Formats: sequence, C-alpha cells, structure tokens
Amino acid sequence: MIAPRRPAWARVARVLGPAFWLLGLLVPLLLSGSWISILAIFAIYAMVALSQDIVLGRAGMYDMGHAVYFGVGAYATAILNTQLGWPIFATWPIAILVAALVGVVLSAPIVKLRGDYLLVATIGFNIIFVLALGNNVGNVTGGPDGIFGIGVPHLFGWALSSQGALFYLDWLALAAVLLLMRNLERSRVGRVFRYLKEDELAATTLGVDARYYKILAFAIGAGVAGAAGTLFAVQLASVSPGSFVFTESVTLFAIVLVGGQASIPGVLLGTALMFVVPQVFRGLAQYRYFAFGIAMIVVMVLRPQGIWPRGRAR
Amino acid sequence: MDVVLQQFINGVTVGGFYALIALGYTMVYGVLKLINFAHGDLCILAAFIGLTVLTSGLGGANAGALLLAAAFIVAAVAVGIAGAVLEFTAYRPLRKAHRLSAVVSALGASMLIENGIMLIWSPEVKVFPANLLPDLTWKVGSASISFVQVMIIVGSLILMAALYFYVHHTRFGTAIRAAAIDQDAARLMGINVNRVIVSVFVVGPALGAVGGLFVGLYYREAYFNMGWIYGLNAFIAAIIGGIGNIPGAMLGGLLLGLFNAFAAGYVSSSWQEAITFGLLIAILLVRPTGILGERVAEKI
Amino acid sequence: MTAPAGEGPLLELDRISISFGGLRAVDDLSFRVAQGEIKGLIGPNGAGKTTVFNMITGVYRPDVGAVRFAGEPITGQAPHLIARRGIMRTFQTIRLFTGMTVLENVLAGQHLRTRQSWWQSLLGTPGQRREEAELVERTLDTLKRLELSEVAHEVATSLPYGMQRRVELARTLVASPRLLILDEPAAGLNDRESAALNDTITSIRDGGVTILLVEHDMNVVMNVTDSIVVINFGKKIAEGGPAEIQRDPAVIEAYLGQDDEENAA
Repeated sequence: MIAPRRPAWARVARVLGPAFWLLGLLVPLLLSGSWISILAIFAIYAMVALSQDIVLGRAGMYDMGHAVYFGVGAYATAILNTQLGWPIFATWPIAILVAALVGVVLSAPIVKLRGDYLLVATIGFNIIFVLALGNNVGNVTGGPDGIFGIGVPHLFGWALSSQGALFYLDWLALAAVLLLMRNLERSRVGRVFRYLKEDELAATTLGVDARYYKILAFAIGAGVAGAAGTLFAVQLASVSPGSFVFTESVTLFAIVLVGGQASIPGVLLGTALMFVVPQVFRGLAQYRYFAFGIAMIVVMVLRPQGIWPRGRAR
Repeated sequence: MDVVLQQFINGVTVGGFYALIALGYTMVYGVLKLINFAHGDLCILAAFIGLTVLTSGLGGANAGALLLAAAFIVAAVAVGIAGAVLEFTAYRPLRKAHRLSAVVSALGASMLIENGIMLIWSPEVKVFPANLLPDLTWKVGSASISFVQVMIIVGSLILMAALYFYVHHTRFGTAIRAAAIDQDAARLMGINVNRVIVSVFVVGPALGAVGGLFVGLYYREAYFNMGWIYGLNAFIAAIIGGIGNIPGAMLGGLLLGLFNAFAAGYVSSSWQEAITFGLLIAILLVRPTGILGERVAEKI
Repeated sequence: MTAPAGEGPLLELDRISISFGGLRAVDDLSFRVAQGEIKGLIGPNGAGKTTVFNMITGVYRPDVGAVRFAGEPITGQAPHLIARRGIMRTFQTIRLFTGMTVLENVLAGQHLRTRQSWWQSLLGTPGQRREEAELVERTLDTLKRLELSEVAHEVATSLPYGMQRRVELARTLVASPRLLILDEPAAGLNDRESAALNDTITSIRDGGVTILLVEHDMNVVMNVTDSIVVINFGKKIAEGGPAEIQRDPAVIEAYLGQDDEENAA
C-alpha cells in the first residue's frame, strides 16, 4: 500500500506473516504424520481460498463456482500423468494454463451480469462441471470414482514421495501465492480490482476497461486455483468429482466472507477454521456441520466484516 | 401422442410443487433482494414433519383425509414459524451490513437446518408408506393420472390463486408489492416494512412447505440433503419467470416442470441435471430478468 | 478567450434525444463547446442536465442524434473509451472510492497513463515498481496544486464535503484531460469555497483544458463561464453569454415562472 505512516500493530503484523510461514517449515520436523498431511492440505486449500479472494474479495464478483478451476487443475495433472505418462512438474504449467483458460471462457459471457445473477451462473457451471466429470466425459475423467494412481513429483531425479517432502512443496507454493497477492496489492491490476469492486461506474469513467479486468480477475483466480489443484492431486494421489462439488465452492465463498474480504490473514484464518477444524474435530461426528452452520450465522451476525478484516480495523 | 400427454401431466405435477417452492424464493428476493439459501431446506423440513404426522398413528387406522390435512397444516405452520425465526435471528441483524454477509448467514442456516434434520430424523432415506394416499388412477386419453398427481395439481393451483388474490386484492398484499418495489418509499408511506418482511418469511416458507410435502408424497421418500436439489431447481424456476415476480415464479415452476419432464424423455438421466442448469445459464445470458421480470432503472 | 480560427468545436452535440420509458428526458438538443472555453449548462432541477452528461460520457446512448469530439463521432461509445479520448468527468453525488485514501483515489485518475502489464503486476518487476513510484510522485504534485497535500493519507470519504469535491477534481486532472465535465462542482460549498472554486476552474482552463459544467450556483456560473446553454424539460431554451442569459425572458420564466403562478393563485 502507499501509506507511509504505519501504526505499531501494522509493523508487527508485517513481521508476523513471514514469521508464521517460517515456523511452518518446522512442521515436518516437529509434528506427526497425520498433522503433516493436515497442514499440507491446509496449505493447498489456503491457496485456493486466496484465489477465491482475488475474484470475490478483491474484484468483488460473486463467484460461487470456484471449485471448478481447482478441479480443472487437479484433473489436468491426473490425466496427463496417468494416461500420458507426463512427469508431475511438467503437468503443472499446463494445469495452470488450462485452468486459467477455462476461467476466461466461463467468465467471458457472464461478467456482464449483475451480482446475484452472476452468482447463480457460477453455481450452474460448477454443477455441470461435476456432472461431466462423473459421466466420464471424453472418456478421460474416470467417472464417479475418478482417477487413481497419480505419481509423485520428481526433482532432479529425487522422488518427492514422503509426507515431509510434499509438505515443503505445498508450503513453498503457498509462499509463492502469498507473494503474488502482495504484488497484486501494490500494482495497477490490484488497484483496478478495488476500483471495480467499489464503484464500477466511476472506474469506467476514469478509463478502466471493466470487462477486460473482470475476466482477468477470473483468469488469475482460476490459474492459482489450478496450480493448487495439481498439488491436491499429488497429495491424494487421486482425484474424484466429489472433491469439487458445488458445496466446496460454497465453503470457499464462506471462507472469504467469514475470514475477511481482501484480507490475507483473514482468508488464512478462514481456511483454518473451515477446513482444518472439522478435520480436527472429527470426533464430534454428526454434530460437526450442525455446529458449523450455527457458527457461520453467529460469526456473520456478530462480525459482518469478517473475523480479521482488511487493513485498519481489527 | 400418448407419451407426450403423459409427460405433460407429469410435467405439470412437478411444476406445481416447483412453483410453490419457487414462490418462497421470489417473495423474499422481491422484498429483500436476498437469495434465501435456506429456503429449500425449510421446504424439505416440511416433508419430514408431514411424514412424522402421517406415520404417527393419530386418529387410528382410518384417519384418512383428516390426517392428511393435519399433516399439511402442521408442516406449513411449523415451517412458517421457522421462517420467521430464521429471519429474526440470521437476517434481520444483517440488514445494514454488506449483502454478502446475509448470503453467508443464509448458507449457515441451510447447513444448520439440513444437519438438524439429519440429527432429528436420521441420515437414512425415509420412505413414505404406501397406504397414505388412495391408490387411484384415472385415464386421460391414453395417459393416466394418479390421485397424488391430481392432489398436487389442484392443491398448487388453489394455493397460487389464493396467493395471487392476496397479493393483488388486499391492502396488505399491496404493501408487500410496494415494499418490493421501493422499501424506503414504502416506509415513508407508513407501511410497516418489518411486518411485511416477517409475513413474507412466513407465507413464502409455508407455501414451500406444502410444496415440500408434495415432493415427499410424490416420490415417497425424503432425505436430509434433498433441500439443495429441489431448492436449486425451484430457484431456477424463479429466475426463469423473473426473480421477485410472483406470477413469474408460478410460470417458471410450470415451465421448469414441463421442461424436465420432456427432457427426461430425450436425454439420458445422467445428464438431466446439466440440461436444467444449461437452461438456467442460457436464460441468464439472454434475458436475466426472466420472462416476466422487469428492468429496474438505476438513477446515476 | 475564443477558439482559434479554423478549428472546429471540441465537443458537439447534434440533435440528441433520449427517452426513459415513456418520458422524453432530452429532446433534440444541440450545442457546441469551443476549444479552450468554459461552457455552462444550466436549467431548473430535473431539466435533464445530468442525463446530457451521461450521454456525452457514454453512460447512456442517445436514441437519436450524434455526439462528436474533436470532429470524431463518440455517440454511444463505452465510458472507458470516451475517457481514453481525453474526456473526464466529476459526478453530482461525488463518487470517490470509499475506504481509500486521497492519494489512492487521485492515483486512480492515472489509470490511462499506466503502462505496466498484468504479468508485470503479478511478478512485481523492477520496471513495475519504478512506475509505481513515478505514479505516486505525479499524484503528489497534483495534490499540491490543489492544496490537498496535508490530507493525502486520510480516507477520502472522511473529509469535509468541500475537500472531497477537490479530491474528485484532482482525480480528473491527474489524467491531463482535454475536456473536463463538471457536474455541480459547487454543490454544498459555501461562498468562500465557491470563490476559490472559480479561481481553480479558471486556472484549469488557462492550463489548456476545455470545461463544460452544470451548476446551480449563479455566483459560479455567471462569473466563470464564457457562454451558457439553458435547458428545461430536456429542450434548449436559450444560449449565449452570461449577461444575455440573465436577461432572457424564456430563462427567467423557466426558473421563476412557477413562483408567479403561485403568487397569482
């Protein structure tokens, strides 16, 4: 941001972020196997949630079908790896590109729609996408059971097969996404997203090509989600339609709102709450989601701006 | 020709309960510009409540029509009250906040109701016993129509007509329409907008409750996460007709029911849902305000 | 200051009309704005003035007629393309970006002068960062011109009304427009602020910017404009210099006519 004066707490927060990330590097050394996978999954979902934030929290578009791009990336890697024998790292850029392209193609016809209508259209795309996956479209998606036997990434001949190795890969990717978000904030593209969210009409009279930037937001958000998708496919060594159903999109949507729109700590916190906590409280079994529903209502009513809103307020 | 007629009958039946559920969405959206994501779950809650009443053994073995009526009334009243409670706890506190906060609250409410149903009634699919309704069918040309179908069609028509009359020919109905057009102006005209909102959250879910119980009786089953599917479909119906527009919801429900019935004949079942959503996207791209919806101008 | 001979008008409205529903908001309106002049557009409330601005800036498309800028047709073009031609505007209701500082708001005006591509933005390349610093420099200069340096880091919408208007104005100036359209720039300002506004407007024009403004405050209109177009019910009822307009019976009737009727009744 361009403000030179920073209150004390903001200076502390700037250090907290990298500190938290560095702490994460100790995870494979200090924690047990199941915790390592949980945190690896957290890193992956955090990336997807941040990508959702680009479209929803920053550019202000009601995207409730974001799981599609996550799935496109995951399936791209799965198909290229298991059916064409591509090494994982080779599939990664393709997954990102294809996801971004899907983002462009899907968003282009609908970005002109008013908020609620856009929301419903994205839901529609999500449902059709999952249906297509389950129906084994093109005979490559493996139907309702999905695709198994996805390999591990190889780096200079080393197989990254251990939990710890995969965790580091995910954690580094998360750092890359965080850096990307920070660059976005300090750049023209990031600013334009804010203008569009705040007041699209005023933005256009200042020369902003709203349609271009809206599609760009979807493209970037989709690309990042696709990148996370590859990591997800590797983590689970499989992909199935059930991981990308519309309710996952709803969760991503809620994370951004509950955590705090356009707030990196907020989105990370939201991801932790919405994905990690249920994992941890699996013991509560059937009461989990009931409690969740109540929690969502309570959080929104008590703190509509989110738990950790962007910038000034805390 | 007989196939077409049969599909037509099926389509109108399904259209009937879609219309009833769609009305709940459209009434709430009209007044609050909010998509009540919990609505579908409320309607399915009615199916469960109705089932409980119908299998309670009240009134003995030959309770028949009276028990059936009781089931509908209890379900509608209970869900109507639930709707009002929902408004009061999850939406009213967020009236001044960012619109999306209410959306998330609605999603939380949906989760809550869905899982509440699961906790109370069990995660398994509940079957509606076979002897709840008379096993009658009539011939219509070379097609046939069953008792439950007649009940649904007639019931839906009566309720829709009643709602239409209420909204267009009573003072309070006019207040509802006024609040839907311009809440602030309505308030300035002395309309108690809070009362309008509460009643919309009672009537909408109550109508949807009847629709939900119709769903249960028609398919003879109910499961706790049914709410989303029927909710989304009814929501699509509301959009087709023009969200916020009451006759639009009725028309949309009918059209969606017919569309589903006819598409089922030509498209494999695994793609059927895709067709429905494809229709939704097509409508959104070509005429997002729906068939009967109006363009609302914004003063710049 | 009159236009150099041989140059056409900078802005030309050629018989434009628009209707909303059944209501004819603007009816067969034509006028020209010469290069370097300050033109006023006045009329009673609801006369259609903002609608005219919206048609010029691409927010609405006229049903009939043409709008030309420097001789080229711009009728119905999208707002961002119109901005690209060098036409900037302010709004009657002040449309500053909420939650952003004065600096961030005014920086927005430089959108068209920013060169960085989307991938440079995402990667944070040295070139991109350099450009960011330049943009901030230029913005700070404009803030200084309009005496807003002290509040550069305040949230723009938390400032007093008069200052917010200056911020909106700064946002348009930083884009170096050729034509500046001001929608009621003096609304909500006291006499002292209006006088300062007059000086600001004149100095902007002296810097080479042509200005078209809508205003109700006659202190501003009569003292600062070179010529005035008067509309009522969407039609032009008079056009000329400030002195002529003040004496024009049709104008007096339009503004004061209702009072006479009330007095007579």
